[in-house]
Amino acid sequence: MQLAAYESRSPVHDLQLITRVVAGDAAAERELYETYVDRIYRLAFRLAGDEELARDFTQATFIRAFEKIGSFRGESSLSTWLHSIGVSVALNGLRKTKRLKSRELPIEEGLTVGSTRVDAEPDLKERMAKAIESLSEKYRMVFLMHDVEGYTHEEISGTLRIPVGTSKSHLFQARSKLRVALADFAPEWVS
Amino acid sequence: MTDEKFEQFLKRAGQGYNAPPARIPREEMWDAIRAARSAGPRVVYGGASHLRGERRFAGKIWWAAAAALLLVASGIGIGRWTASSDAPSATAARPTSSDKAIARSSDPIRDDGPRPPGSDAAPTAPSAVRATPLIEPRSRLAAGDRGTGVALRATGSPPSRDRSTDPAGAGRTPPRGAPSSAYELAEVNHLSEAEALLTSFRTRSAGDQQQDARLAAWARELLSNTRLLLDSPVAEDPKRRPLLQDLELLLVQIVQLSPGSPPQDREIVEKTLQQDQLMTKLRTAIPAGQRGS
Repeated sequence: MQLAAYESRSPVHDLQLITRVVAGDAAAERELYETYVDRIYRLAFRLAGDEELARDFTQATFIRAFEKIGSFRGESSLSTWLHSIGVSVALNGLRKTKRLKSRELPIEEGLTVGSTRVDAEPDLKERMAKAIESLSEKYRMVFLMHDVEGYTHEEISGTLRIPVGTSKSHLFQARSKLRVALADFAPEWVS
Repeated sequence: MTDEKFEQFLKRAGQGYNAPPARIPREEMWDAIRAARSAGPRVVYGGASHLRGERRFAGKIWWAAAAALLLVASGIGIGRWTASSDAPSATAARPTSSDKAIARSSDPIRDDGPRPPGSDAAPTAPSAVRATPLIEPRSRLAAGDRGTGVALRATGSPPSRDRSTDPAGAGRTPPRGAPSSAYELAEVNHLSEAEALLTSFRTRSAGDQQQDARLAAWARELLSNTRLLLDSPVAEDPKRRPLLQDLELLLVQIVQLSPGSPPQDREIVEKTLQQDQLMTKLRTAIPAGQRGS
């Protein structure tokens, strides 16, 4: 339902909504939030993989958007502008949490030191997760946005502030690396 | 074909990666957003809010202002402390007659009056003395007394060693009774000028009344400085005091010679000059390399 509301947006509608938000209309704020919260939250969750972090990132995105909406000049669509804030907030937040986590030794890792780990049958989900996480940030972002969340290259271009060609190139590179990483599962896409 | 299948495989498999929950906590997040916005300080995840940034900026300005004030206050304090520690020399630096003697003898080009022939050989004051700001204005004051024939007597204690004229001796305290470098320098300049005057006197052409008048004026000025030096620490030196006294006597004789005075009077002066061997004493007293420089 919310995605349908997002897809039916028009630039004129967005402009009117922005004008109302800037004027301090609480209902307009809520409307803006309801329109975009699902996509922002989903993307945040894809990036963070953690419910609490995804909530934090989503909240921070809207708080920042409401603060800065007066400076929105309409050079890009409202969706693109909002997503670029969301991606920026999420990546910055992830970098910080990654730094914090890197200081701690995971319990599982500590227990497996000195022992031989035997994986009888590699799980596709686990291998897929590892393969995606092994991608560099720029490839992972494009892959998740395009292949997983269904963003177009134009949307990715606006959100990540990269040319469309770069977005396509990054997707190609990401897929190539994943193909190598998931070579064990080749029969699944060959057959 | 394989690529398309691989893309479909990726899209399908990728859905399981960090799959978001079916229920998105919209209301909870909205409540949190409203609470954060109504709380005043706009907290932004992972970064400072605008308000916090403004406060931080204002704080920085206050800190910078406080630091600048502290710096200025420290500078003033240090300046006053150093000034108070140098207070004796500052008191002594008041214009005394002795200083005037230094100023006069160290500024030979200040006189716009007549100069005897050969006076180009008169020594010029070293730039260190001429550039000293405390001495230059006093030389102007002293210039006002020129020609009166009245020697000013020293009333104050001798000024402390002028560091600007003695970079090597900066910070050193001269022994009691020993003249400072400034006085020594003034004395050397004065003796050099006296030597130039006496040379001019001996080589003057007879009957040239204009030249006699210029020599008399020059001698009057030197006489005044000689008397001032006699009252300065320079005269405490047992070797220099007799020299200055002999010079004073001779200069008095030259001053008393009127342009139309008979040749016998001049012969008396020349005889005094020879008997006292004043020229030799003067040349001995002037260190090598400073004569006529």
